[in-house]
Amino acid sequence: MADKKVSKKDIAGLLKEWSQQFAVFAPSKESGVAAMAKWDGQDTSFLDWYRNTVVPPKASFLPQMEEMFRFQKGKEGYNIEPPPKDENKRLIFGIRPCDARAMSILDMTFKQALEDPYYLSKRNNAVLVGLGCTNPCESCFCTSMGTSPTESADVDLMLIDIGDDFLIEEVTDRGKGLIAGTKGLKETAKDDEAKAEQSKKKAYDRVTRKLDTEGIKDKLLASFDDEEYWEKVAAKCISCGICTLLCPTCYCFDINDEMVKQEGTRFRSWDSCGFPNYTKMPMENPRQEKWRRVRQKVCHKYEFYPMTFDVIACTGCGRCIRLCPVNWDITQVIESVPNKTEAKK
Amino acid sequence: MEQRLRQEARALLEQNKVDWIIGFAPGSLKFTATPLITRDKDDTERLVISPFMFNNLADFLTGIEGRVGIVAKGCDSRSIVSLIQDNKIAREDVVILAVPCPGLIDLAKIEKLVGKDRDELDDIVREGEKVTVTVDGQKKEFSTTQTLFDHCLACELPTPQEYDILLGETRPPAPELKVSGQNIAKLKETSPAERWEFWQNEFSRCIRCYACRNACPACFCQRCFVEETEPQWVMPVPRWQDNLIFQVVRNIHVAGRCTDCGECERVCPVNIPLRSLAREMYNMVDELFQFKSGMDKEALPLMAHYEQEEAEDLFR
Amino acid sequence: MTQQAEWKPKLLGFLCRWCSYAGADLAGTSRKKYPANIRVIKVPCSGRVDSLFIIKALRLGFDGVLVSGCHPGDCHYLTGNYRARRRIAITKKFLEYLGVEPERLQASWVSASEGGKFAEVVTEVTEGVKEVGPNRLFSERKSDGTEA
Repeated sequence: MADKKVSKKDIAGLLKEWSQQFAVFAPSKESGVAAMAKWDGQDTSFLDWYRNTVVPPKASFLPQMEEMFRFQKGKEGYNIEPPPKDENKRLIFGIRPCDARAMSILDMTFKQALEDPYYLSKRNNAVLVGLGCTNPCESCFCTSMGTSPTESADVDLMLIDIGDDFLIEEVTDRGKGLIAGTKGLKETAKDDEAKAEQSKKKAYDRVTRKLDTEGIKDKLLASFDDEEYWEKVAAKCISCGICTLLCPTCYCFDINDEMVKQEGTRFRSWDSCGFPNYTKMPMENPRQEKWRRVRQKVCHKYEFYPMTFDVIACTGCGRCIRLCPVNWDITQVIESVPNKTEAKK
Repeated sequence: MEQRLRQEARALLEQNKVDWIIGFAPGSLKFTATPLITRDKDDTERLVISPFMFNNLADFLTGIEGRVGIVAKGCDSRSIVSLIQDNKIAREDVVILAVPCPGLIDLAKIEKLVGKDRDELDDIVREGEKVTVTVDGQKKEFSTTQTLFDHCLACELPTPQEYDILLGETRPPAPELKVSGQNIAKLKETSPAERWEFWQNEFSRCIRCYACRNACPACFCQRCFVEETEPQWVMPVPRWQDNLIFQVVRNIHVAGRCTDCGECERVCPVNIPLRSLAREMYNMVDELFQFKSGMDKEALPLMAHYEQEEAEDLFR
Repeated sequence: MTQQAEWKPKLLGFLCRWCSYAGADLAGTSRKKYPANIRVIKVPCSGRVDSLFIIKALRLGFDGVLVSGCHPGDCHYLTGNYRARRRIAITKKFLEYLGVEPERLQASWVSASEGGKFAEVVTEVTEGVKEVGPNRLFSERKSDGTEA
């Protein structure tokens, strides 16, 4: 039951209003690439071009690089300064359902498996205002991954395009509270709900890329040792990090210290299992060969994560397909996994 | 021509003249071709000659064992020759299937001109110097000058000089250097301080994916300097300083091997104008030492050669 | 650290062990005066100097880098300095294109008997670096980029 909507023309006003309580982030190309950036106070031209960002919204919670803490080396040892808490209230405006679902998947690692204070201080203080898709990309396959272009389960508010306005679905208590205190909104009309349902269906049907993930966990398990298969799959991969760094559910990070004289900083920054040195250790590198790394990536997302958390760590956002330099396509790979599960019996 | 390519590739495998075939197959997205690397002769049926065969397939040569039959455009063949110059591959281990290239269409340029993303376009058709884009049923016409990659507009060798099988008619170079070099020219009009700030800005969004390095055939080091930890030359942290150093040193390290194939810029997911670095190095190497990469397989690589008198004006 | 206080340029010199380093020693024993702002790293040959070292030096905060080797034709390893010549030439020009002041990377041929020349070179290079000021190339940017 949604009883509020906002006119597309009033988005700037709405964001301005919310800027009084939050640091508002919205899609922007100002940096040179489409990413969520601090809203500049006026620009809403993203409503014209925005389909999805290149840099996923995970960057707001798990930044590309993050100072963990600073330290000094003294005569008696190291003095570690407690890191400043980042408890800025943020509002991410325009997050797509695939990326919001990805945040819920990341929460399983950073909330359930362990409590990561850096991630959580940002995550707990952020309101997610989703924007339902109307124009999915050819690389999108969210409808096969348990979500949809207009799914609201993972956001506080979901805006559905109904022509001149966005219908506002209030999802969480936080979302409801925010709307209750927001002025620049209109009451919905009688047929707005129906328009929203139409808009949702239209967007759903426009997702043409489909993937059947039935039994994939067991299929991958059964094919794990098929080196010949994985060599074929990995042949054209160039081991860059694009698919993993820009994947909204990937979370691997590297920790490095940098010291200048007696002062140092510990950094956390994005890492990729695709890099040849990812598993390099003094004695050996268990994933020296490219096919092992490619196998790891596929299995982590479609086998290991489901084994631990009961969900495939992929939301069908399609970035990996669109941005891959060699057009390596996860949907083609998943479809091609041999079905050895029967044979194993 | 595609039929002939498939036949030749199949024959090479059947007659055991090569162990691998590297070429292009249709991609899984519109306006895309994807590298095909196979030992299977039936796979050769998938080979295509596509207006979207962007990748420089020479990139795969240093990571593969055995003899290779490889599809090569002009720029790719120069990379192959450069690898032969560097002794990374032996001439007799490659069978070069030369595809004279008319220049490839830059989808990013089309997106800018039309104001839509590539998957929203119905069709892109090229006829000679005309490129017609169909979007929402409407046809829009552009010239090749507006739509080809900058590096294609500067192409000095559309037809490989070094090849075994020629698949098509040879094409003469038609370098439109002025258009292709305009990004660099614009930069040179700014002051040094402005230029440095420009690069600071550009490299602030680098995510250190290393796609530029990995897609580059000239980057074939087993152990790249960025991965060295003793000493740590560059931190893996994506600060603009480290990102900038990585790219600058990378370009200097591949000087004389870079053939301006444009892959570095094309693959960058965050749109950093890497070619404005690579092409400038390419030009400098020509200006200083009259060296053009990958032209003569008997020639010594740039850094292995020297003249008695050169560049003395830079030394005290 | 203020800029108001008298800034002294910090130079890093890569001197080849056979010629330039010996030349520098000779400058010392001959009591030739030259600015004390230079720190020296001895390398076996000027050809050992990778462009990476030069750029790393600038990154670390050195205001200028000097690479000095044997005269062309006199290299102890026959061709090392020819490699250096090509490498330094492209590094110097490339850095200039990027916006780095040309005075920050200088190169010279100084033989083991040229103590006087070494002193002159260091003096000139120091003067040149003084003119372009402290190296702020890699300091944090003034404008704060917005970050999500």
